Amino acid sequence: MKKLRVSLLKEILLLLSDKVGLLLMFAMPLLLVFIITIVQDSAFKLVNEHKIQMLIVNKDKGKLGDTLIAKFVQSGNFEVEIDNAINKTAIKRETLKRDKQISILIPKDFSKRVDQNAEKISSLMLTEFGVLDSTEMLGNVSVSKNNKLDFYFDPILQENFRLSILSGVNTILMGMENRRMLQQLFADMGYDGIPIKIQKELSNQNVSINSIPASIGGSEMVPNSSQHNVPAWSLFAMFFMVISLGGNVVRERLSGSFIRLQTIPKAFLLTIWSKVIVFLTVALTQLAVLVCVGIFVFPHIGLPQLTIPTNILALIVISVLSAYAAISYSLLIGVYAKTQEQAGGFGAISIIIFAAIGGIWVPSFIMPEYMQNIGLISPLHWCIEGYYTLFLKNGTWNELTGTLIYLILFILVCQLFTFIKLKKQNYI
Amino acid sequence: MNLESPIIKIVELSKFYGKSTIPSLDRVNLTINRGEKFGIFGPNGAGKTTLISILCNILTASKGTVEYTIEENKQNMHAILNMIGFVPQDFAFYPDLTAQQNLSYFGGIYGISADEVKSKSTHLLEILGLSSVAHQKVRSFSGGMKRRLNLAIGLIHSPKVLFLDEPTVGIDIHSKLTIMSLLEKLNKSGTTVIYTSHHLKEAEDFCSRVALIDNGKIIALGSIDELVKQNDTLNLEELMIKLTGKELRD
Repeated sequence: MKKLRVSLLKEILLLLSDKVGLLLMFAMPLLLVFIITIVQDSAFKLVNEHKIQMLIVNKDKGKLGDTLIAKFVQSGNFEVEIDNAINKTAIKRETLKRDKQISILIPKDFSKRVDQNAEKISSLMLTEFGVLDSTEMLGNVSVSKNNKLDFYFDPILQENFRLSILSGVNTILMGMENRRMLQQLFADMGYDGIPIKIQKELSNQNVSINSIPASIGGSEMVPNSSQHNVPAWSLFAMFFMVISLGGNVVRERLSGSFIRLQTIPKAFLLTIWSKVIVFLTVALTQLAVLVCVGIFVFPHIGLPQLTIPTNILALIVISVLSAYAAISYSLLIGVYAKTQEQAGGFGAISIIIFAAIGGIWVPSFIMPEYMQNIGLISPLHWCIEGYYTLFLKNGTWNELTGTLIYLILFILVCQLFTFIKLKKQNYI
Repeated sequence: MNLESPIIKIVELSKFYGKSTIPSLDRVNLTINRGEKFGIFGPNGAGKTTLISILCNILTASKGTVEYTIEENKQNMHAILNMIGFVPQDFAFYPDLTAQQNLSYFGGIYGISADEVKSKSTHLLEILGLSSVAHQKVRSFSGGMKRRLNLAIGLIHSPKVLFLDEPTVGIDIHSKLTIMSLLEKLNKSGTTVIYTSHHLKEAEDFCSRVALIDNGKIIALGSIDELVKQNDTLNLEELMIKLTGKELRD
């Protein structure tokens, strides 16, 4: 026990003297988790909470152009600026000059065409109901498809964001067209307009959609940027200790300390286990720091608060196994690398690749199938799967079986190859 | 001190690296007695470091046996390792720790009590002229200071047999004198000293008996006076040239 205490103290002193390693292990994940969560949260808010800057050029000679503008304003999603003096050729330039995300040009015959379509649809419906004789139908029976709005957008808008805005505009446009069509229908049936009672009902007609995460066991967890990023970047930080721990092993090997330890009874294995204990503590401290930041700091800077899974034991088991997997991988790199630069370079690049294919940066499900299959070799994939099962789905032990088996196998394989190399070099 | 009492008995010791068929050590037979100042010399690549590495459990022998005779009469590796001290040619310590921290660590890992480590390290740092830098990181030390600390670490557990691989390489005359003087004192107090060096004059002054190794074989064994006389040479340097030739070795 005394020997272990001395060995642990030495590892702690070496760790504290490695300022760059400590910075990489604590400051880097903190920075990453803050930056990525803020960026993702901002993107979410941009779509859902921020008003989209819109320029409207209304050339319509009827009233529906103004009605449409009023609908955009009422929706609360758009900050509308109207400038009817802009001509079609200048609208692109004005969109960028006025820093607008989108612009809409309402053509001069917009109302006329909407009215014509409403009349035609009304006639068709009344004919179908048998109220009108087909000979009484107004004009051409086909509905015009030529009524078009020009939608201009800032080219820097990402595709998914642009489509999301377009979908919002379409919804408003469709609502307006349907209302106009109903007005026409009632007018053709001899009413002055849509009866107030029906108008009230129409205004209540929207089916509200409850968005419910498919979590298990009635979890209250809401998937958000914090629930995704805190576990993901904690894992990335854990595995990035390959630079510190891998380098530490190479340094000791090359400095001759390992050779001296071979001449001291039981010292070598004691040293390896001391490294495991110290770095396991470091990895779990990293996780604890990031989780505390997610719980206590994020809400103060407008980010969603991290919610801890209810299955705390599973969280501890997955965390310890993930940390142990990271340590086993770091030791493996440390014993096989010939130089510290090799350990740091190969270690860092391999972790970045593991993170990329493992779904730390972008979710695995959006990758092509062959990449998803390749991603299965990444320990980070299994670690993050375990964390997502807990942090997002509130999963049970059953859902964690795959993760547990893979992580245990990964640890055993890393340790086997480490053992083979150390045995070959007569260290153990 | 009974100089005829063997402490290490090496029988038919051979070492082949990897799949090589050329032995680095070729059926070496050697007995080292308690309290000796024994020198192992030879050109580069002769097998000196290989021999010391096998004796210190750093390498395993391909063939042959090494038998230690220790006071407790135990032949287990644990007891043997506790009895020996090793001062490698490379600096084998932690440059990011202080001299005191290095000694405390290596002393502690031998299982010595904290108080004993403290008093021993204070004593060793004092006699090796490192007291004033005891709490400085070793990274900032000069070559001579590092070499002296390397020796101090090998002595922290008071070994009965001390192996030194080129303990004075690359250092100034002052550090060399300090180290050699300490080795003399240790030997007088009963420590068996086994050492290799390329400084043949230093070895001639220090060693009571030597083994000359070339191509993995012992080509001469005995006291320096005997060997010089037998081979009709003036000193150890001439003896070495006569027995191993003048061609370059790598």
